[in-house]
Amino acid sequence: MQEKGNILRILTEAKTAIKGNDTFKLKELSNQTIHTASIAQDPDNIAIAVIIYSLSKIIERGYDGTKNKCSKLCKDVIFSMNGIIEGIKEKNDVKLRNSMESLRKKLFKVSSKMKAYIQDVFTKASINKASKIYEHGISIEQTAKLLGITMFELAGYAGQKGELSEERFGEKTNVKARLKLAMEMFA
Amino acid sequence: MKAIIFDSSTLISFSMNGMFEELRKLKKMFDGKFLITLEVKGEIIDKPVTIKKYELEALMLNQLLEEKVLEMPDSVGVDNKQISIKTREISNIANNIFIANGKPMTLISDGETSCLALSNILNDKKITNVIAVDERTTRLLCEDPIALKKLFQKRFHTGINYKKENQKFLGNFKFIRSAELVYVINQKELTSLKDPRTLDAMIWAVRFKGCYISDDEIREIVSLGRKH
Repeated sequence: MQEKGNILRILTEAKTAIKGNDTFKLKELSNQTIHTASIAQDPDNIAIAVIIYSLSKIIERGYDGTKNKCSKLCKDVIFSMNGIIEGIKEKNDVKLRNSMESLRKKLFKVSSKMKAYIQDVFTKASINKASKIYEHGISIEQTAKLLGITMFELAGYAGQKGELSEERFGEKTNVKARLKLAMEMFA
Repeated sequence: MKAIIFDSSTLISFSMNGMFEELRKLKKMFDGKFLITLEVKGEIIDKPVTIKKYELEALMLNQLLEEKVLEMPDSVGVDNKQISIKTREISNIANNIFIANGKPMTLISDGETSCLALSNILNDKKITNVIAVDERTTRLLCEDPIALKKLFQKRFHTGINYKKENQKFLGNFKFIRSAELVYVINQKELTSLKDPRTLDAMIWAVRFKGCYISDDEIREIVSLGRKH
């Protein structure tokens, strides 16, 4: 895992946010993680960003409306986060990875009805995080690879990002020159 | 002999808009080959065919391969081993051009790099070629790395070191996008749509499926298209 100091801070703040049902803060923390992850492209950082974002969505929904389940899941998640934090502090990579795996498993250890919902949340969270990495300038294919999604999933999302298309990066080859090149190929 | 090397991003734009017939007609009037690499085939056919949501697009793209609308590089005498070796070489250059926080940034992946590798091999064989790439990073990396550096600085809020000496090799590639191919389709009247808004509609459609093109560029292409 890279940028361990940053992850320690993110997880510590995420624990507080989970306890306070602060979904806005969780999303913000997820975006901060992805910002760092775009440079380092470390899979662990990216996984944590996806998990935190998914958690924000799950908490937003109130799980399946049962407050008890929420508090049980919150406790489980915080327990695993503590394991990750200890793993980083103790420089124990085995503990760190086991805790990451346990965190993922706990999120999916829900009723079968919720399982499909959580799977959907994870997929959407992955696409959301992928679009953030793509915004940072990493190619579509590299981004899709990092997040374990297909380019088809990302293509639709990337195309809808108006902000990116408004910026005119790549002025060197102008419109007319590129059209001329295309027409010449078909002459 | 001429060739257009298709990256996954361009074929995804076409397939998600269902523009398979337009691709067939384009190929019919093209005096050369539409090529895809093994890595691109993996991204547009082999992987999505296993995902229900994209299975149909993958099957339809596979059909284009069976009809030889799309062809593999061995059709022009280039084997996969050659491409793999060149892909690794280019990847080492392309993914070491920008340094952020003391570490090289991995910008492009094997599919995109394999298109550059094939183009490089075809250049050596004196086969005229262009690469059709819709996504932004590969094109900017080769055509305007300074613009890419600006993008990184804006997004990362950190200093980015740029190894100019690595750039020389990447400056020799030629790119078009699905937007330009759509322009050709319009100018050559290869679409069954006769509405004067067709070019505008097709360019917006490919943009919404990942073609990196600005509003200004769309306006300019549409206005040029109307002059003919």
